[in-house]
Amino acid sequence: MSMHWDRFRASTVRLGGNGSASLRGTSFGDGGLRHTSSQTVRLGRVQPQHPSHRTIFCNDREANQPVRFKGNSVSTTKYNIFTFLPKGLFEQFRRVANLYFLMISILSTTPISPVHPITNVVPLSLVLLVSLVKEAFEDWKRLQNDMSINNTPVDVLQDQKWETVPWKKLQVGDIVKVKHDAFFPADLLFLASTNPDGVCYIETSNLDGETNLKIRKALERTWDYLLPEKASELKGEIQCEQPNNSLYTFTGNLIIDKQTIPLSPNQLLLRGCSLRNTEYIVGAIIFTGHETKVMMNSMNVPSKRSTLERKLDKLILALFGGLFFMCLVGAIGSGIFINRKYFYLGLSGHVEDQFNPSNRFVVTILTMFTLITLYSTIIPISLYVSIEMIKFIQCAQFINKDLHMYHAESNTPALARTSNLNEELGQVEYIFSDKTGTLTRNLMEFFKCSIGGEMYGTGITEIERGIAQRNGMKIDETTSATAVQEKGFNFDDPRLMRGAWRNEHDPEICKEFFRCLAVCHTVLPEGDASSDKITYQAASPDEAALVTAAKNFGFFFYRRTPTSIMVREANIEKMGSVQDVTYEILNVLEFNSTRKRQSVVCRYPNGRLVLYCKGADTVIYERLVDGNNDIKKLTREHLEQFGSSGLRTLCLAYRELTTEIYEKWNEKFIQAKSSLRDREKKLDEVAELIEKDLILIGCTAIEDKLQDGVPLCIETLSRAGIKLWVLTGDKMETAINIAYACNLINNAMKQFIVSSETDPIREAEDRGDPVEIARVIKDSVKQYLERYLEEAQQFLRSPYGTKLALVIDGKCLMYALDPALRVSLLKLSLNCSSVVCCRVSPLQKAQVTSLVKKGARKITLSIGDGANDVSMIQAAHVGVGISGLEGMQAVMASDFAIAQFRFLTDLLLVHGRWSYLRLCKVITYFFYKNLTFTLTQFWFTFQTGFSGQRYYDDWFQSLYNVIFTALPVIIVGLFDKDVSASISKRYPELYKAGIRNTFFTWKVVAIWAFFSIYQSLIIYYFTVAASPNGHNSSGKVFGLWDVSTMSFTCIVVTVNLRLLMACNSITRWHHVSVWGSILAWFLFIFIYSGIMTPRDRQENEYFVIYVLMSTFYFYLSLWLIPVVALLGDFLYQGVQRFMFPYDYEIVQEIHRDDPEESRRQLLEVGHHLSPDEARSYAIARLPRETSKHTGFAFDSPGFESFFASQAGVFAPHKPWDVIRRASIKSKHRTAKS
Amino acid sequence: MMNSTSASPAAPISVSGDGTDARRNSKRPKYSRFTQQELPACKPILTPQWVISIFTLVGIIFVPIGVAALLASHDVVEIVDRYETDCIPGNDRIGYIQNPTTNKTCIRFLKVPKDMDKPVYVYYQLDNFYQNHRRYVKSRNDQQLRDKSKANETSGCDPEKTTANGVPIVPCGLIAWSLFNDTYNFTINNGKALTINKKDISWKSDRNHKFGSDVFPKNFQNGALIGGGKLDPKIPLSEQEDLIVWMRTAALPTFRKLYGRIEVDLKENDTITVVLENNYNTYSFGGKKKLVLSTTSWLGGKNDFLGIAYLSIGGVCFFLATLFTVVYLLKPRKLGDPSYLSWNNNRLMQ
Repeated sequence: MSMHWDRFRASTVRLGGNGSASLRGTSFGDGGLRHTSSQTVRLGRVQPQHPSHRTIFCNDREANQPVRFKGNSVSTTKYNIFTFLPKGLFEQFRRVANLYFLMISILSTTPISPVHPITNVVPLSLVLLVSLVKEAFEDWKRLQNDMSINNTPVDVLQDQKWETVPWKKLQVGDIVKVKHDAFFPADLLFLASTNPDGVCYIETSNLDGETNLKIRKALERTWDYLLPEKASELKGEIQCEQPNNSLYTFTGNLIIDKQTIPLSPNQLLLRGCSLRNTEYIVGAIIFTGHETKVMMNSMNVPSKRSTLERKLDKLILALFGGLFFMCLVGAIGSGIFINRKYFYLGLSGHVEDQFNPSNRFVVTILTMFTLITLYSTIIPISLYVSIEMIKFIQCAQFINKDLHMYHAESNTPALARTSNLNEELGQVEYIFSDKTGTLTRNLMEFFKCSIGGEMYGTGITEIERGIAQRNGMKIDETTSATAVQEKGFNFDDPRLMRGAWRNEHDPEICKEFFRCLAVCHTVLPEGDASSDKITYQAASPDEAALVTAAKNFGFFFYRRTPTSIMVREANIEKMGSVQDVTYEILNVLEFNSTRKRQSVVCRYPNGRLVLYCKGADTVIYERLVDGNNDIKKLTREHLEQFGSSGLRTLCLAYRELTTEIYEKWNEKFIQAKSSLRDREKKLDEVAELIEKDLILIGCTAIEDKLQDGVPLCIETLSRAGIKLWVLTGDKMETAINIAYACNLINNAMKQFIVSSETDPIREAEDRGDPVEIARVIKDSVKQYLERYLEEAQQFLRSPYGTKLALVIDGKCLMYALDPALRVSLLKLSLNCSSVVCCRVSPLQKAQVTSLVKKGARKITLSIGDGANDVSMIQAAHVGVGISGLEGMQAVMASDFAIAQFRFLTDLLLVHGRWSYLRLCKVITYFFYKNLTFTLTQFWFTFQTGFSGQRYYDDWFQSLYNVIFTALPVIIVGLFDKDVSASISKRYPELYKAGIRNTFFTWKVVAIWAFFSIYQSLIIYYFTVAASPNGHNSSGKVFGLWDVSTMSFTCIVVTVNLRLLMACNSITRWHHVSVWGSILAWFLFIFIYSGIMTPRDRQENEYFVIYVLMSTFYFYLSLWLIPVVALLGDFLYQGVQRFMFPYDYEIVQEIHRDDPEESRRQLLEVGHHLSPDEARSYAIARLPRETSKHTGFAFDSPGFESFFASQAGVFAPHKPWDVIRRASIKSKHRTAKS
Repeated sequence: MMNSTSASPAAPISVSGDGTDARRNSKRPKYSRFTQQELPACKPILTPQWVISIFTLVGIIFVPIGVAALLASHDVVEIVDRYETDCIPGNDRIGYIQNPTTNKTCIRFLKVPKDMDKPVYVYYQLDNFYQNHRRYVKSRNDQQLRDKSKANETSGCDPEKTTANGVPIVPCGLIAWSLFNDTYNFTINNGKALTINKKDISWKSDRNHKFGSDVFPKNFQNGALIGGGKLDPKIPLSEQEDLIVWMRTAALPTFRKLYGRIEVDLKENDTITVVLENNYNTYSFGGKKKLVLSTTSWLGGKNDFLGIAYLSIGGVCFFLATLFTVVYLLKPRKLGDPSYLSWNNNRLMQ
């Protein structure tokens, strides 16, 4: 049972600052229910509340009948069988390209059109068909998901028995029984539980991402309704609010035996939560199906479009421009050309408007429309559907099934929740990351310590390992026999373990060190008093780690009473001796963020009075007694060393007290404690009086355990040109510390710190005038920003290339995000290679994200795990949720879900980069092939008197996009790889091409367009110029359709081969698709020109291919034209590669001789090195630079009383809350056993 | 799954049980080369060597083909005679040509420059004649041409659908209506007539499948305006080869069409007298008319284009190959030199 206490802190941040949170007093006065104030959190939009209330009769279906409550079945599908076609089609025609082709299709049924309607109808309907099938498939999966949920069995009370029915059969008012670990089928009124006191524990991770258990308590009046016989007697009436989406509020009354009992959120069990640590509960259904709070909250995540697609729109627009230009040229030409002198055109007498020489203007206008239908192929109709298919497969087959992104421990593969954003992953420049749960595991481990100037601990942190590797040092892979593996303790040093400390040169100070750890804390032990069964409940994981450390050193803290602490001490008298010692705790001087220390006054059994103190090095050093400078100096060095390795440090000190001094002080303390005004402040002042003349013992170093591979991943990402910003709700110290641990900040960097923890601000805050506080903070933020910006410019101009880092806290950020200062903030932060924002609210996370997204127009990615990251995830271009361990909320809002932060490397550098490259290739190629095709048609127009005569047969034109050139480009979109995945990760810099958008610029498009024009000219003029004499045709000559078929053959061959030339890697699928497409064309034309259909249409194509193939013209041209057409591209590619190679091309060349690697072996070895194995590498101390950063980052979160927060009352953190909570839990435990 | 943004968060999640269960419940993706994107692939790298060799290869292949094609084309003897200006007296050309009563006979003398082996093909060539105009191309009805029973099918034949009194024209449409009707008669040297074989001048597929053997011309060229040639109503369309040739519309406004074959050898310096009927009106739109006599080689008629194209492309390839070689030798780029990587370059610059 690991309780994530830190989550509580996180939750308070959420509650305090969530964007959609609103603070309001609820006064639902009908039963005299009083809520002083209540905090409302909504996940989605605020929904209007029904003015009245609903009345539910428990256990009485007939009585509820007239009200017609909604059923409990849910449906998340978009369509049903009737709405599918109209709604689906409507969705499709919202796309401009589809609408355009619909219009063209309509236009082509008119006589204006030179082409048969099939030319446009066939591709359009194929495209629509594919899209609709995809929609139907997705909806089908949703339907299946719904059905499996709706059919989950649950026990419901019927005739004094529990009957098992599916969820969907439940009705409002039913009494249900929910068993251990099951999900609540609807929103329930909690009636009774198997636990004593009518409590139950629920997990709400599906709702808010919090994994800690919450307690719900049934009304005393209903505790008995546990067994079916008893429960069936319940005939109550519930009056409550109408369904709404506020998760944490509920008001209502239970009227039972004419007695009105008010209800509160404490009695409400929400759908989506699950029951924990309780055998079963009985509840009455209040809200069902879509009316449950969670369903009311289910929001439609705004669908995101990728930047590339938005650029694509511009390209399409440019194509429209080109189309218009071509049509205009042709139309004007036709107006000039048309003349009665061409008697063979039959223009005398009555002529339709389009060819009437008497009105050339009308001719021009009408020809314009003619040409629009003729040139419509310039808009690649199948582009969007192809891209969609490619992306869909990329997601479903590649991202979701990548073994490199599968996390074995949590059994979680990666999940792409939207297929719109694959290529966006290849262009990310800024990553915004949450800290807890994303970068770190929220697991604190005692890692090193320094006692009396001697450093202990042989472990090495990830960051040290990184440094060592960079310096080319070997890391010893030895595991000591004395190493102890325990949660919270990851320390090994034979000099201290198993009582060996007795042999150190100053065992007394070691003893003080261990006692300080064992005594000076607010931790509660839980469970049996044996060292392997006990668990510690602490307000912060740091404290638990310290106490665990003391236990492992032989000072086992096993029981706490309000006035004493019991420690089982080993090896005190002599090696192997064990004795229980009771320390009387006289005072606890609490931790808070201004004091940055915590003290305990305790009395030894022998009467010795000692004050133990632990805290930040800055505050402890100020209060040390003079002398002992050696230890102070050494310890300071150690602190710096720990700090730069990313460890969190605490200094330990003690002070011997005499009874007189203590008694005198204690009086003042009691006075302060009982004072009614400014109690906190007075307590702090009194504490100052005794916390002085301390003797330094040493310091501890705790590792805030990072997720696996985080520093490496961050380094890789930074080499890839991606900037990581950490946005965290933590304190500044913690945040900086983690930044050190992740290698985001190091001592070589210039740090700019914008903090609100300065004296002027504090003074202003003490004075308490909000307007003045705002003014002071704003001024100081402004000063900071201006000064830093100036410095930053200097650093950037300096030749050393110093990297910059910005640290800013939430309060300052609030003012820095002000429109007036926003620009300077942005300027400064964009110059920094890493930015850490601490103490930020979820809303601010989103604001920072959109500041960069909108202000700097850079592509952003947010990654987080909790509900507090949702807004940030939605604000960024790409949202990534950490799945597996934490709740669902972040994942539900995300676009991609991965199990570990380090998988970002794979997601971005491999999948993202490839997707980007592929998509660029697909888009530019589509552009090219349609332009080439249309241009040949355009050149032909010039030689037909601008009449708009089609060059190609209708079917050629309609199948060109959907058959003859469709598949290869999809294959490229799926399989093209410039370099392999492992090389992609070895050369992260390759990613920069995506950030710079190298492969989809107007220049790239222009080059393709240029060669498209070149090729179309070659194809058109060569076929035409070679055609006048039918070669080897026994004198017979070709007609229009022979030549056009020849042209079309050349185009199909050229365009398909051009694709092959654009490929970086050619698999057999490339061959199959490219040669298959060419073959498909020939098969088609053999059949098509071989048959005569009885339908009324022109038989232009009859036998054409056979006629062609009987001549040399065909073979000579087919050999010449594609080669000549492609020679230009080939020359360009050769020169470009030779003279101006792309980075990826160089890398390809470097690794050209590498054997075909299978990543399979790599998978087995490199990837499953567990962190603990990795940790067990031991190494001697590394040489390090001294630093100023000492790594103090003790977190004692503002722990709130559970019950207080439930009632919406703000309660500051008190140690006894921990005790109360623990006592409840142990009671529950004993009840179970 | 894609785009499903509102999947129910209340989905029950199966609780993973013990070991065997866990294996069964494992969501570990199966390994396959496809999903792991490790399909075996060849990864061609366009090195300068490749560029040079491909250019050379193309040159080696193209030059001989070009030479052969050019030689073949040069073997072809072609006599081209433009006659539309000389065969018309006076200035009122249009009046002359449109007047059905004037005598339009015209005599041309052609000299054979070289021996011409049989068969010698006779073509007429028209210029500025837009057979590929949209209005023109579609003005026919294939059903009607093919099938006797569909004589009334005249859709698309505007404006030559029916006669003034509404009877359908067979063959209908502008193409047939504007049938070319100049005629040529040849005599050689001392008046010996050269017979012109007008059989098998059209593609067999057209004759057999597009023009019915039981479809006879009806009401053809009976209108007020005469577009061009008339057809013998007793001969079925499938045997009206001039019409069949004419109706395979040309791709370009300048085109040749086969008129017939002379099936005797012509000797050098032979003089051919052509008695032609200059009936066809190209004067309205200023079109040229040419008479062409041509032999064929193994490759076909005279057309230097392919030969020149092959030869010059081959030459360009050789040139490029040489150029590349020179550049490569003078200023080689080491393959896979990391210093060319942009991020390394930047470092150097700093």
